[in-house]
Amino acid sequence: MEERRTGWLLVVLLVGQLVFLAIQGARGSSSDTFLEAWGLRLLGPAARTVTTIPESVSGAREGLRLRGSLQEENRRLRREVEELRLQLLQLTDVEQEMRRLGDAVRYSAPPGGRIRAVDIVYADHVSWLRTLLLYTGDEPAREGQPVLAPQGLVGRVVTVAGPYAKVQIITDRAAGVGAMVLRTRRQGVVRGSGQGEGLRLDYVPLQADVRPGDQVLTAGIDGIYPRGIPIGTVVEVTQEGQLFHGIEVAPAVDLGSLDQVYLLDYTPPPPRVREALPGARP
Amino acid sequence: MPVLKTLAAIAVAVLVHLAGVRMFPGFAQVVDVFLVVVVLHALEGNSLSGMLVGLLVGLLHDSLTSAPFGLFGFADTIIGYGTARLAQRLVIQRASGVFAVVSFAAVLQQAVLVTLAFLLLPDSSLPDPVWAAVKAGVCGLIGLAAHIAGRRWRRTAESRRRSRMSRLRLG
Repeated sequence: MEERRTGWLLVVLLVGQLVFLAIQGARGSSSDTFLEAWGLRLLGPAARTVTTIPESVSGAREGLRLRGSLQEENRRLRREVEELRLQLLQLTDVEQEMRRLGDAVRYSAPPGGRIRAVDIVYADHVSWLRTLLLYTGDEPAREGQPVLAPQGLVGRVVTVAGPYAKVQIITDRAAGVGAMVLRTRRQGVVRGSGQGEGLRLDYVPLQADVRPGDQVLTAGIDGIYPRGIPIGTVVEVTQEGQLFHGIEVAPAVDLGSLDQVYLLDYTPPPPRVREALPGARP
Repeated sequence: MPVLKTLAAIAVAVLVHLAGVRMFPGFAQVVDVFLVVVVLHALEGNSLSGMLVGLLVGLLHDSLTSAPFGLFGFADTIIGYGTARLAQRLVIQRASGVFAVVSFAAVLQQAVLVTLAFLLLPDSSLPDPVWAAVKAGVCGLIGLAAHIAGRRWRRTAESRRRSRMSRLRLG
């Protein structure tokens, strides 16, 4: 009798979970749930502790070991700062020039966003269902917020639970990024290849000129990422079917070496505007 | 007391998983400590408890993946219930039996996950079969090691209890 009741409970639980999964599937894989946020709140502090302990131990050890070379590094960094200041001056000049030219033709540049550094407390970038977990501190992340590294795009925030945020990495098979080839401005969609850490650039027609070595950037057409963030470099171009190229892209960011990333405060076009566009699918 | 033991096992699994992924980037690809906890708990033979622990541990695991929330919850609920029912019918005492059950559970979990992913996700890909096989083997070995360690610990605790009792009687 007891076993029979357990059997029924199993059926109810499994059906309930299937319905729950199907609803999520229909809403898109990025939709977060109360339970998921609860799980993140529970595991986030543990992940943070596990990350902090070895870092503080190795940090103290490194500090002792590197004490002698710090002066030399300090001198080198001062020189670098001087050079960067010079470059900044030149670039400010260029920027002002561009603004003047833009004003002359009444061009309004898309708004750039503020970035802030946040720590990674859990990173699984290898397994089948890869993800990053961030600790964002007092200022929580926003769903859909782009996540960057100095070399380029990492992914976007999909779930927020208090000071913790889960990131969908661009190498995830379910992730899609509106992209363009820098040299030719030809647009396509970058997806995780599902094999290792590679990416694919899809929907680029055979007529388009794409070569290994071409830089791939965000195109700013997906309503998530702004234009111009490096995604990766084309490593192989093959003919796939009769319409499109098969393009393999190596990510710009080495996901294995990340311990800190940047959240970009970028305001995409409002959903009302995006929905009004024919065929637009954010 | 059994509830505390299970919660402690889950906490240890969480810490091992987090530390493992931190130290070895490919850890989650070859080991699923959450699954080992579910199977070892379910081997005690209570199907209700096996199922609920499977659900809880699976949902915790889901919090650490990018898949739709509930994928591991679903798979581990089946594993927990199935293993407990198996343990009710078969006496699994030998180490090789535990290894086989945990390894088989790992394969079954992968199969359920892949099936669900193909049903629910628009662009699903298969996990590498070689890594899936490695994972099954490694999970089996970890389950085996945990089973042997648990058995030794129980024996030691039992012999201590007996010697204490005999000393009490002599006194």
